[in-house]
Amino acid sequence: MILLSAIFVPVIGSFILPVIGKISERARNGLALCFVLVSLVGSSLLIPSVLAGNAVTFSRALPVGFNMVFTADSLAVFMAICSSLVGAVIVLFSFGYISHYENRNEYYLMVVLFLGAMMGIIFSANLICMFLFWEITAIASWRLIGFFRGKNDVLKADKAFLVTVFGALVMLLGFVLIAQQAGSFDLSVIKETFKASPVPDIAVLLILIGILTKSATLPFHTWLPDAGVAPSPVTALLHAAVLVKIGVYVFARLFIVTFTFSQMWHVIVPWIAASSALVSAGAALIDTDLKRIIAYSTVSQIAFIFLGLAIGGPLGVAGAMLYILMHGIAKGGLFLCAGIIEQNTHTKDITKMGGLVATMPVTAVAFLFCAFSVMGIPPFGGFFSKYMVMSSVFTSGQMALALTFLVGAFLTILYMFRLFNMIFMGDAQGAPAKEGSRVMVVSVAILGALSLLGGLYIIYPSNYVQIAVKQMLGM
Amino acid sequence: MRPEILLLPILIPFASGVLALFTSRKYRGMVALIAAAMNLALACFLFKANVIFTAPWAGFGFEFILRAYQFSGFIIGAAACFAILITLYCTVFLKEKAFSNQFYAYLLISIAMLNGAVLADNLVAMLFFWEGMLLTLFGLIAIGRPGAFKTATKAFVIVGICDLCMMAGIALSGHLAGTLTISKISLDITGLGGLAFILLMIGAISKAGSMPFHSWIPDAALDAPLPFMAIFPGALEKLIGIYFLTRISLDMFKLDPHSWVSMVMMIVGSLTIVLAVSMALIQKDYKRLLSYHAISQVGYMILGIGTLVPAGIIGGLFHMLNNAIYKSCLFLTGGAVEKETGTTDLKKLGGLWKKMPVTFACFAVAAVSISGVPPFNGFFSKELVYDGALERGMIFYIAALLGSFLTAASFLKLGHAAYLGKISKENERAKEAPIQMLLPMIVIASFCIIFGLWNTLPIQKLIQPILGERLEGHNYGGFPTNMMLVIATVAVLLAALINHIFGVKKSGSGLGAVDHIHHAPVLSGIYDKAEKRLFDPYAIGLKIVDVVSKIAWSVDRGIDWVYNVFFVDAAFAVSNGIRSLHNGSYAAYLAWSLAGAGLVIIFLMR
Repeated sequence: MILLSAIFVPVIGSFILPVIGKISERARNGLALCFVLVSLVGSSLLIPSVLAGNAVTFSRALPVGFNMVFTADSLAVFMAICSSLVGAVIVLFSFGYISHYENRNEYYLMVVLFLGAMMGIIFSANLICMFLFWEITAIASWRLIGFFRGKNDVLKADKAFLVTVFGALVMLLGFVLIAQQAGSFDLSVIKETFKASPVPDIAVLLILIGILTKSATLPFHTWLPDAGVAPSPVTALLHAAVLVKIGVYVFARLFIVTFTFSQMWHVIVPWIAASSALVSAGAALIDTDLKRIIAYSTVSQIAFIFLGLAIGGPLGVAGAMLYILMHGIAKGGLFLCAGIIEQNTHTKDITKMGGLVATMPVTAVAFLFCAFSVMGIPPFGGFFSKYMVMSSVFTSGQMALALTFLVGAFLTILYMFRLFNMIFMGDAQGAPAKEGSRVMVVSVAILGALSLLGGLYIIYPSNYVQIAVKQMLGM
Repeated sequence: MRPEILLLPILIPFASGVLALFTSRKYRGMVALIAAAMNLALACFLFKANVIFTAPWAGFGFEFILRAYQFSGFIIGAAACFAILITLYCTVFLKEKAFSNQFYAYLLISIAMLNGAVLADNLVAMLFFWEGMLLTLFGLIAIGRPGAFKTATKAFVIVGICDLCMMAGIALSGHLAGTLTISKISLDITGLGGLAFILLMIGAISKAGSMPFHSWIPDAALDAPLPFMAIFPGALEKLIGIYFLTRISLDMFKLDPHSWVSMVMMIVGSLTIVLAVSMALIQKDYKRLLSYHAISQVGYMILGIGTLVPAGIIGGLFHMLNNAIYKSCLFLTGGAVEKETGTTDLKKLGGLWKKMPVTFACFAVAAVSISGVPPFNGFFSKELVYDGALERGMIFYIAALLGSFLTAASFLKLGHAAYLGKISKENERAKEAPIQMLLPMIVIASFCIIFGLWNTLPIQKLIQPILGERLEGHNYGGFPTNMMLVIATVAVLLAALINHIFGVKKSGSGLGAVDHIHHAPVLSGIYDKAEKRLFDPYAIGLKIVDVVSKIAWSVDRGIDWVYNVFFVDAAFAVSNGIRSLHNGSYAAYLAWSLAGAGLVIIFLMR
C-alpha cells in the first residue's frame, strides 16, 4: 500500500494540480511539494523491511496477458529516496524561481508527473511497466525542456525527445528478445531463466543503447548540454536527480540484480564510460555557457557511476550507489545555484560574470560546497563515492582504465574551479546582481549542507549500502 | 588511558575553528589562542601515549583507526608548538584584518586535519584528513590580497592532483596488501607495488612542496597572508609530508638502499635542492626569496630519506624539524619587517638592524642555521644528510654541497640588503615589533641554538626511536665523526662569504651581491626564462590540458554535428528521394505495384 502510494500519489495527483492552480497558487505549490514528499516518506518507511531482506511486492494481472508488478527491494528504495529527496528540494526551489513565468500550472503538472513516473520506473518489476513509465518521463521532459516555448527551446526539446525515444525503442526490442527466451516480461521469471547463462549479447547491446541515451553517455550525450535551455530547476531535475539516473538505475536493476552479461561487457562498458568522461570533461573546460558546463560535468560524472557498476564487485556497486546519492545532491545544488545566478545576472555566459561572491555569499558557499563534493574532496560526500569507484577499478586490475579515470578526476577539479572563479571571483562586471529570493537560497543551502553532512555522517548511507550490496549480489 | 581521547586532538581544534569563524573581531585571537593551548596540552599528554582507537566507518575495510605512538606523538607535538607560537604572532599581525576570523578558523581546522592524518592508522582515514587540508589551504591563500584566488586555485589544483595520485596509490596498495591498516601493510616494490609507491610518494612530496610540485609556493609568498607562509609551507606541510614519506619508506614498503625508488627519491631531492636555491639566489623580495628556500630545503629531507641508510634518514628527519624551526622564524622576521616598513621589497629596505635589533638577531640566528654554520642546528642535520649522500654517491653529495653554498650566498645577500647598509628615508620611523610578535621569534630562534648545541637531545629522544632496530645500536648524536665532511662544509661556507664580499665590491650594494652569478653568460638566459615561468610545471600542464580539451571539444562538436546536421540532412534526403518517386504518373505506380506483387509471389513460391 505504501509502495503504491509512493508511485501513484504523484502520478495521479499531478493531474489535479492545474485545477487547484486555477483556484490558489499557494495551495497548488504546497500540494505539489506534498505529493513529492509522499514519495519520499513512503520510500523511507520501506527501509526497515527491505533491510531485513523482505522485498515488498504488489502484483496484479492485467488483461491481454500482461501483469503489473511492483517490487521494493533495497536498491529500489535507495534510488527512490535519492530521487525524491533531491526532487523535493527542487520543487521547493521552484516556488521562487518559476513564480514569475507563465504556464506555471503546466510546470507543476509535468514536474510532479515526472517524479511520479520516476518512482514507477524504480519500483517496476516488469519490463513493460518499466518501459511505460520510461516513456512518460520522456514526454514530461520534452514539455519541460521546451518550457519557454522559444523556437530554439522547442528545437532542443525535440532533440532530447527524439534521441531518448529512439533509444527507448531500441531498448524495447532488447526487452522483447529477452522476453521471448524467458516467456515473460516479469523480472523474477527472467531472473530464473538466466540464472545459469548470461543473456544474449545482442539483447545487451540493444538495452545498453537505450540506457546510454537516457543517461547521456557518449555518443548519445549531446542532447543533455543542449537541454540547458530549460528552466534551471528542470535542468537540475533532468541532470542531477532523475532523468540521467534512470539509465544508471536500469543498468543496475537489469545487469546486476536480474541477470549477468558476458565478460566482454565488463571491459566495453567501462571504456565507453572512460571516453565519455574525458570528452565531456574537456568540453566543460572550453564551453562558456554556465549550464552547459555543469551539464558536461554531469556527463562526465555519470561515467564514473557506470564505471563502478560495470566493473562490478561489492566495492564498485557500493561506490556507484553512493555516487548516485552524492552526485544527485551536489549536482542538484550546482544547477539550482546556476538558476539563481542566471536569474539575477540575466546571462548564462560566464565570461560576462565575476565577483559575485560579494553580493551572493550564500549561493557562493553552497556552490563551492557542491563543487567540492563533485570533485571528491573530503570531508564532502563525493570523496567516499569517488574513492570506492576508483578503488574498485584498481582491484579489477585494469590499470589503463584506472589511469584514464584519474585524468578524468584531474579535469573535474580544473573545470569546477574555472567555473567558480569565473563566476564568483575576480572583478565584478556590469551591475551588481543581488542574492536570490529566500526560498531559493534556502534550497541551495540545504543541498550544500547535505553535501557536507553526507561526508561527515557517511556511516549511515554506507551502512545501508553495504547491506543493499549484499542483497543485490546475493552474498 | 581511554582510547577515545585520541578523538580530542581532532575535535577540539575543529570545533574551536568553527567557533572562531563566528566570533567578533575582539575575541577571535583569544579563542584561537586558547584552542591552540589546549591542543598543545593534549599533544604533550599524548606524547608518550601508545593507544589505538577503532570505530566502524564506511565499511569495505574503511575503518576509523587512530593510533598514537612515538612518531605520531612527535609530529603532533611539533605541530602544536608551531601552531601556538604562530597564533600568538597573529593576534598582533592580523589584528586589523577583517578576514582574521577566517584565518584562525582555517588554521585551527588545518591543525585538526593534520592531527587526524598523523594519528590515522587506516589509509582511507588518513586520506580523508590529508585531502581535507586542501580546503583550508585554498581558504588561507584566497583571503590574502585581492586576486589571491588565482594562486589559491593554483595551489589547490597542484596539490589536489597529487592527492588524487595518492588516492590511486592508496587504492592500489590496499588492493595489493589486502588491508588498509597502515601498520599491517608490508609490500614489495616489484611490479604494481612500485607504481603504488611512486603514487604515494607523489602525494607525500607534493605536500612537502618538493619540485616539480612547488610552483604555487613562491606565488603564495606574495599573495597569501604572511603567517600562512610561516606555518604552512614553513612548518606543517613539511612535517606531515615528510612524516608520510618516512612511513611509506620505512614501514609500508620493504625498501633497501639498492632499490630503484631510492635512486628516484635521491634524484628528486638533489634536483630540488639545486634548482630551487638557484632561483632563491636571484629573488629581490624578502618573502619570495624565503619561499624558494622553503622548497629547496625539502630537497635535503627527501635526499636524506631517499638514501635509505640510517645516517641519511636521521639527517632527513632532523632536518625536517630544524627546517620547520628556522624557516618559520625567518618568515616571522619577514612579517615583522613588513608590518613595520610596509614592504618586503629588498630595494626599499636596508639598515634595519638599528631600528629592529631583536628581529635582526633572530634573523641572523635562523640564517646561519639554514646555511649550516656550526654549531647551529642546521649544521648537524645537514652533516648527517651529507654523510648518507656520500655513502650512496659522490654526485648527490656534491649537489647537496652546492646547495649549501648557494643557500649561504643568498642569505648573506638577504641579510645585507635588508638589515645592513643605509636606511632609506621611508623607513626612518620604523620601530621594533611588539612583544607578541617578538616572543615567538625569540622562542623559535633559541631552539636553533638549543637543538644545535645539545643535538643529542632531539636525535636520541625524538628521532632515533622512530628507526628502532634499523640503527643497529649506532648513535648519531653529538659532533660529526667524519672530519673531512666538516672541513668541506666550512670551506664551502667560507667560499660563500668570499663570493659575497666579491659581489658587494663589484656591484656596490648588498642587494647586488650575486648579480655576477645572475648575469653570468648562459645562466642569465636560463634565469630570464625561469622568471617568465616557462619552466613552471603548472603553466606547462595547463597548456597540455588546453590542447586536450580542445581535442575533446572538437570530438564533442563532431558528435553533435551528426545529430544536428547529418541526421536532419539524411532524413530530408530520404524523404525527398521517396517523394520524387510519387510523381503522379499512373504508369509508374502500376509498375511499382506489379514489381511488388512479383516479389510477393517469389517469396511465396520459394
